This record gives sequence, C-alpha cells and structure tokens, in this order.
Amino acid sequence: MSENGPETVLRARAIDQSFGDVDVLSGVSLSVPRGTVAAVVGPNGSGKTTLLRVLAGIAAPTGGTVSLQRGGTGARRVGYLPQRPAFRAGFSARDTLEFYAQLLDGVDGRDVDATLERVGLGEVRDRSVGSLSGGMTRLLGLGAAVLGDPDVLILDEPGSGLDPSMVERLFRVVGDLAEDGTAVVIASHELPAVEAHADAVHVLDGGRFVASGSPGELRSGTDATSLSEAFLRLVRTDAGETTVRAGLDETTEKTSAGETTERANADGNRSDVDGSEVTTDE
Amino acid sequence: MSESGEGTGDSEGISDGERISDGEGIREKERIDRSRRDRVSDTVRNLFVIATRELRTIVRTPAILALAAAFVASVGGVAWAGTGGRGGFVPLTLDLLTFVEVLVPLLAVAFGYRSILGDRGTGELDVLRTFDVSRVSYVGGVYLGRALALVSLVVGTLLAVGLLVPTLTADIPTFLAVNEAADSGVRYVRFVALAAVFTLVVLAAVVGISATTRSVRTAFALAAALALALVLGIDTALVAGIASGLVPGDGIGVLLALSPNSAFRGLVLSTAIGAVGGAEVAAGEPLLNGVGLLAWWLVSLSVAVRRVWPVVESIEE
Repeated sequence: MSENGPETVLRARAIDQSFGDVDVLSGVSLSVPRGTVAAVVGPNGSGKTTLLRVLAGIAAPTGGTVSLQRGGTGARRVGYLPQRPAFRAGFSARDTLEFYAQLLDGVDGRDVDATLERVGLGEVRDRSVGSLSGGMTRLLGLGAAVLGDPDVLILDEPGSGLDPSMVERLFRVVGDLAEDGTAVVIASHELPAVEAHADAVHVLDGGRFVASGSPGELRSGTDATSLSEAFLRLVRTDAGETTVRAGLDETTEKTSAGETTERANADGNRSDVDGSEVTTDE
Repeated sequence: MSESGEGTGDSEGISDGERISDGEGIREKERIDRSRRDRVSDTVRNLFVIATRELRTIVRTPAILALAAAFVASVGGVAWAGTGGRGGFVPLTLDLLTFVEVLVPLLAVAFGYRSILGDRGTGELDVLRTFDVSRVSYVGGVYLGRALALVSLVVGTLLAVGLLVPTLTADIPTFLAVNEAADSGVRYVRFVALAAVFTLVVLAAVVGISATTRSVRTAFALAAALALALVLGIDTALVAGIASGLVPGDGIGVLLALSPNSAFRGLVLSTAIGAVGGAEVAAGEPLLNGVGLLAWWLVSLSVAVRRVWPVVESIEE
C-alpha cells in the first residue's frame, strides 16, 4: 500500500459494453485508489480485456463512464500493456522505448535506460525487438507501459507466457510502482502471484463482477485455502474442466467426458462472498 | 462582462464583483489560449516524432529498399535506352510520363498499405493512444514520414535522369528557358514537381486505405484495386463511356480531373509539354485537374484521420 492516501484515481461507473448483439460487460463498477493493485480475474472470454480497454480509454463503453483523477507527478495519465504486445521490427529495445519517451514531456534517455533496467532488459537494450523472446517482449511492453510514471497502469495478462521467476519479477515491479503511488489494474491468470501482490481482487464472470474483495476476504468468503480454490468456487468450475465464456452467456465444456453443457445467464444465480451486492468495491 | 462597459477603461457602473468576474474571465481566456497553444505544440511535436519513426522504418525495411532500387534502375534504364535522354527534356518527359503513372501507384502501395495497419496489428496503436497522441499527429506523422521517403525517391530519381540530358544530347542546352517552344530544363522541373504532387496524392489514398481497413489481406486487396483503377480502370471506363456516348464530349475535362492519373497527365501535358510538333495538346482544364488532385488528397487524409480510431471522451475529475 502507498503512503499517499487512499483517494480514488480511477473510477468506472456502470460500464456496459456490447458488440452487436453480444453483451460483453454489464453494469461493471470499479474504483482503484492511488497506490493499490487491483486484479481482475475471470475465465477466458469473461470480458477482462474489454474492460481493461475501456478503463485505458482505448474503447468507448456502450454505457457508463470512466473518470481519472490527476495528481501524480508523472508525464502521462494511463500506461497500458496489451495482452499480446508486439513492436515494430528493425528497432532495438532501447530505440523502441526512446520513441515512446519522445512523446512525453520531461522523459529522456536516462529515463529510458532506467526503465529498461527496472523491467530487467538492461542487458539486452541494444538487441533487435525481433530477436527478443516472448517473455522479453512482454517485459518491453511493460517498460512502454510504465514509462513516464503514469497515474494509472493497466496491464492485460502481463505474466502470460513468462516463467515463474519472471512472473515474480514482474509482479514485484508492479508492487514497486504501486508503492510509488501508481494505481494498478491487472488482469491475470497467475492467481498465486495475484494473491501475494494484489490489494483487491475482482472476479469477472459473464460480464459482471461476481465477487470483489481482498484475497483474504475472497478466501474466507468461499472457505477456500487459496485464491485459486476460491476462484474455482466463484466461477463454479471444477478442476479438470475448461471454461470459456461468450459474452453474458457461458459454455462449460467437460473435457474429460467430452460432454458439453450450456448455461444461459448463469450470473443471475451468483452472489459475492458476503452474499451482498456483487458489482462494486466503492 | 458589464453590459454598459462598451468602451475600454469605462469602469463607471461596474461593481467590484463584476470587476473580479472580468479578471477571472481574462485569466480563464489566457488559460484556454495557453492550453490551445500547448495542444498545437504537442500535436506538431508528436507528428514529427512519428514521422521520424516512419522514415527509420522505411530505411530498415529491405523489401522497400529493393523496390526503390528497382524503381531507380527502371527509370534510369528508360532514360538511357529510350529516345528521351538523347532527344532532350520534353522527349524524356514523354518517355517517363506513362512510366511514372504506372510505377508511382505501385510504389505508393508498397510504401503505404501497411503503414497504419502494421501498428494496429501489433497493438502499438492502442499503446500510442495512451501517450495522448492525437489522430492528426499520428496520421500526419505516418503520412509525412512515408511521403518524405517516397517523394525523395521519385524526385531524386527523376532529377538524376534529367541530368543525363545535357550529357547525352548532342546539342547541349546552355540555357534554362528561352521561349514557350524551347525544350528546357524548366519544363522538366515542372514535370518532376507534378510527379511529386501526384506521388503525395496517391500515397494519401493508400494511407487512407491502411487507416480504414482492419486486416492485411483487405488492405492489400483494396490498395491493389486502387492502383489498378488509377492506372487502367478509370481511363478505360472514360474511353468506353465516350465511345458509347454515355459521356458527353464537352464534359470530358471534368471527368479527367476526377482521376489522379488523368489529372496529373493533363497537368504535365499542359504545363511541361505544351505544344508538340507545333500543335497544342488537349489536356483538359489545368485548374480542374489541380482541384481534382487536391480533393483526392484532402478526402483521403480526412478519411484516414476520422477512421484511424474512434474518439473516446476523457473525463478528468
């Protein structure tokens, strides 16, 4: 937690998002105080990326508002790491960050070098982005996201494809940023790391938050011993099943038996860990 | 503002509160002006940052460099082997005119069809938006960078082969311009300038396609279709229309101005060629041709700016 106080930096109110006939998000509200890490977890297709794009100001929601409160000393409002970052070929890692730095006031080459060191790419700064491994490319994406010390940092599955040590390093970097006052929203499937580093966890399923709270609250509310176990109980999926959500409808496929069961609008039966309202942490 | 205070310095009848309000109004206006200046300054700065990145991308893309080399070799070959280089500037212009009409659209496709689509595909477009880059900065920067590279290639190559004329022509011209009928370097420079304008217009259309489409396949298909239409399709349709009587003979000047290729050709014939063998060339209306090219350029870039990404309202507390 930060020492800068608990004021809310990012506030989303009643976000709806539809693509044609498909409703992806419905009435999602979220507040992220300065200096905290908020994790959004949920099955594949539950709307995490859509929500993060709305929060980052990249996509306009069908309904609802997203507001930002400035107040940090950084050069930009929002930093964003997409789910699959990629960069223009032919440039080195340093060239790439230098280009982004030129778009920001008061950010120079020294900040670029410091950012590369911070995300663990100092040794490969002059290597072409085409020759970076998938994990390194993701770390470079993290570097582009944190450049200029944004007030809000939005990371879409930053640990995907990284080995456990890299995941740990990444979450440590995220934790350090939060310590410095950044409000972080992170979508992740790395539940042990989320459990260790997140201040609040929001479980998104079927386009709605079905539970919100600290990792401890989610564990105790579901009588689980770990966040992973709590997650499985909250999204009603047993280990051994694969779950894919399609908009507000959902399909659960039992891989072991090859059976397919469709459940429509199952979120109507959900309750949060306290048995009360499910959509907001405000 | 006091309703009675029409003249400057007239403070009679204005309450203290109104004076404070006046002062606040001026400060607010100054703040808005300063904010507007900052925005313009940021837009221009970001535009040049992005243009620089585009230039660096071009010089680091082997396929584009190979195409550029092929263009230089082809134009050089035409100038060397054809009658143009040995015959003077006007023959050289006539030799190169069709060549430029065909090759420039193809080069523009190569230089531009992935320009914006590439960033969309990698996700960098989304990342760039979090750096508060405006649509004008981004599209303008991409276009400027690519245009600088492509126009430099076209203009540099044409000027270089123009230098062959004094070398290869037996009767070496020692003047730039004497009279309307003379074969002069000035006429060739006009052709090169018009080729630069034509290049800018066609590239704008290709960048517009790159901003509008969402897949490489669609972008390439549309850009190739555009090049084909410019090089062959529109002229063929006009000829067929005239032959069938659908297009009236007296409206041909307007219709020629609608296609960048025929507008460019008309301008070259009217300003860089003039009279051939003592006979005036029917080249349409120069003004209409100019307006046609300007319209293509403006519409293409406007479409690119509007379609590159949707505006998302930002709310700050």
